[in-house]
Amino acid sequence: MNWLKFVAIPLVLTSAVASAEVAVVVHPSNAASLDQAEISRLFTGRGAAFNNGSKATPLNLAESAPARAEFDSKVLGKSSSQMKAYWSKLVFTGKGTPPKELATDADVKAAVAADASAIGYIDAGAVDASVKVVGKF
Amino acid sequence: MKKSLMVAALAAGMVTGNAVAEVDISGFASVVGGKVLSGEGVPEFGLEPTFLANYPIVGFYEEDWSFKPDSKYGLQLTADLTEGLTATAQLVGRGADDFNAEFEWAYLSYTLNEHWTLQAGKKRLPLYYYSDFFDVSYAYLWIRPAADNYTWQIFNYNGVNAQFNYQVSDWTVSGNIYTGREDDTENKLLSEFFGSQPVREIWKNIVGGVLSLNRDWLDLRFTYMTYQNERYRNGVKVLWDGDDSRRGKFAGVSANVDYNNWVVLTELNRLSLDGGDFDTYLVSAGYRVGQWTPFISFADFDSESEMHSTASIGARWDFHSSAAFKVQYDDVTDDGINGQMVAGDSKAITFGIDLVF
Repeated sequence: MNWLKFVAIPLVLTSAVASAEVAVVVHPSNAASLDQAEISRLFTGRGAAFNNGSKATPLNLAESAPARAEFDSKVLGKSSSQMKAYWSKLVFTGKGTPPKELATDADVKAAVAADASAIGYIDAGAVDASVKVVGKF
Repeated sequence: MKKSLMVAALAAGMVTGNAVAEVDISGFASVVGGKVLSGEGVPEFGLEPTFLANYPIVGFYEEDWSFKPDSKYGLQLTADLTEGLTATAQLVGRGADDFNAEFEWAYLSYTLNEHWTLQAGKKRLPLYYYSDFFDVSYAYLWIRPAADNYTWQIFNYNGVNAQFNYQVSDWTVSGNIYTGREDDTENKLLSEFFGSQPVREIWKNIVGGVLSLNRDWLDLRFTYMTYQNERYRNGVKVLWDGDDSRRGKFAGVSANVDYNNWVVLTELNRLSLDGGDFDTYLVSAGYRVGQWTPFISFADFDSESEMHSTASIGARWDFHSSAAFKVQYDDVTDDGINGQMVAGDSKAITFGIDLVF
């Protein structure tokens, strides 16, 4: 086991917090407005629809993607470990299923651009016209 | 946490012949070791110094190191049969049972709408706050929820469950209503630890409900359950005051706070059975410092003659994105009278790793 790695990872994440910005994105045709509390509900399985009543499909980034830890801490107010503990309680008691995980910003962007119900987040620098930004954190 | 793979599902195959269902595999494991540092045991029963860490499955430590009482693994398979229907099975093997794996959960789940889900099959009884995820130690702070609260001999039921989830202004209101029964032909706790004859324990006409209210940093939970108990000892039906069955009523309330880096966990429960009350409570506090969460905890069980408590201190270290290291010191005081001692006073150390995948 590489113990140094466990010490080094949080240091890297901490230093990244200051610079990176996360953009929450939806399909360009999605007219829903979203605040942080609503985004948080969708990504914690406490809600399954946008405020206009249409179905929402949240898409998560894999833990290896830098924007994941940013999103967990800035939008959900938790560390990725806390989110994992939260989901493991729901998954193993049949109360919920975590959002599908995609590997990279590009994967999330492509999936959101292709699905009117999707909501995801990516590094703000990766945003282009294929998706619509509903919030930056 | 989960890996997807495509397999031809037999159930789906019945419908279209060549349909394919997506099956998610996830799991959890704990590897924990420990020993009693000092203890009195119960001389009357001929019991050596013992720390009974886990009542339902009778996981106990003695003065030699052991890695069995709290160690376990679980594997969950969930088949998505589409259109809101899923089938889930959870296989759990525990060190206290020599790692013999059994299906602890096996149920069908049908999503009725955005708010309601119906489930039928074998599930865990959601009595105390941690009852239904007792085995998933990664999901909570300590090595295991305190044995003074988690004293049940029955922890599964076969039946139906309806669960709901609503948003009411800033509150998430969720919970479930369930009914069913459990017939445990050779109950481990009653047969082995609290006796030496085979005991068949039946809980029937179980009806219960859970209501959870969540908002930001506050989590409130209310639980109620009633059941009818029948018991056979050595094949002979047990009588209580001439009756061959008795009704138990369980009620509990829990308030948890997760504010900034503070975590405060509390629960208060009462079981009324045979005209007596069995009261339990638990109070824990932890403070997150980066990846570390040191904690203190106190748990208590109080009835007419069985009385015990555990004071604990320990820490959780989230050293890896899917695993946590924990270490815990437990000081148990057993004040039982009239032969209602459990395992006597003990001081024990336990440590280990919990993970999920």
